[in-house]
Amino acid sequence: MPHLDAAYNLARWMTRNDHDAQDVVQEAVLRAYRFFDGLRGGGAKPWLLAIVRNSCLSWFQVNRPADLAGFDDRVVETLASEEDGPETQAMRTFDRRMLNEAIAALPAQFREVLVLRELEDMSYKEIARVADVPIGTVMSRLSRARRLLGESLRALSNAAGERVNR
Amino acid sequence: MTHDEAGRLLHAYVDGELDPAKALELEAHLAENPFARAACERLRGMSAAIRDQADYHAAPAALARRLRASAPPESEAGRGRLGLPRWLRSAAAFAGVAALAWIAATLVMRPGENERIATEVLASHVRATLAGRPYDIASSDQHTVKPWLSARLTFSPPVADLSAQGFELTGGRLDYVGGRRVAVLAYKRRQHLIDVFVWPGEAGQADLKLTREGFNIERFAKDNMDFWLVSDLNRNELADLARLLSERSAL
Repeated sequence: MPHLDAAYNLARWMTRNDHDAQDVVQEAVLRAYRFFDGLRGGGAKPWLLAIVRNSCLSWFQVNRPADLAGFDDRVVETLASEEDGPETQAMRTFDRRMLNEAIAALPAQFREVLVLRELEDMSYKEIARVADVPIGTVMSRLSRARRLLGESLRALSNAAGERVNR
Repeated sequence: MTHDEAGRLLHAYVDGELDPAKALELEAHLAENPFARAACERLRGMSAAIRDQADYHAAPAALARRLRASAPPESEAGRGRLGLPRWLRSAAAFAGVAALAWIAATLVMRPGENERIATEVLASHVRATLAGRPYDIASSDQHTVKPWLSARLTFSPPVADLSAQGFELTGGRLDYVGGRRVAVLAYKRRQHLIDVFVWPGEAGQADLKLTREGFNIERFAKDNMDFWLVSDLNRNELADLARLLSERSAL
């Protein structure tokens, strides 16, 4: 089955656990079979991932409504008030675990664009299709995502440094 | 270009999403602005770190099995809309079943063979890395590596210089995989070693992407040659190399 890994990777990063990710993907694939007509141009991968994303949203609504805030622009707006610039901080020492934790802790709408861009290597246009937003929004979310990630990695590696020094 | 505008465009630039005119403008700005250049490098560093180190969650085998089992043979809605005559429908159904059987056969019979080769190329890659001896002939020159390999094999493997694309050729070696002598090309990207195994194969084999013990393995066939790539490099960049090699060997 094509793109199953991509579907699971997205669901796994959004739900942050294996069991729920499997449920979400199964649900999404059943929907995909049902609405196969929706696949018109533009590639099967963004099409399938858009369905996976919608299944994630329904799953959040039922099981973890609090996490939906991560998709809400008004809520997310308060998180990073600084002007979004290129200044992601220089990253010092951090390990794989730290990086994974920091990505998992990003608000959902930033996490999804980052996963689609860096791990699925999708174009802005494809990501816009999956997340159902304009390309400009993809661009601003990505730069926001990287800035937040840089900040939290810096905080994590500072904290780790202090633990070592003590 | 103002500093603010450059800041806004930098992400699109690093992601390769800027149109050529804007990219040139931004490059001019970067050339004379060390702060913007440093910011650009940091962005690239972060992107590479995520691609290298963030977990890629491949679908568990159990999930794939479950989904195969739940796949509907033919959707009701689709059938209604097609409006085919009954005889054509059964013909189509028969063709569908035949195609499924063929796919199942290739899926069921091939993995044994592919799985064995995947294990062998992975073992060869790990052995060479552990021994600190990734090649028998060290050279970044394709015109040195290719004749050296051809002299020791019954075929001449395509050897491409891809340093411009960020894959540095470091050398070549011989190995024994699937009961035959094969050529191994050693490439390097950042700190990652990539082995490319090449031997003459049958045409019509399906491409393959596997993950085994944290290593990514990719296989494709081109011009009657079988290519197997093994590395701890992330799968996107490994796929890039596979694409480059397949374009190159067509020349």
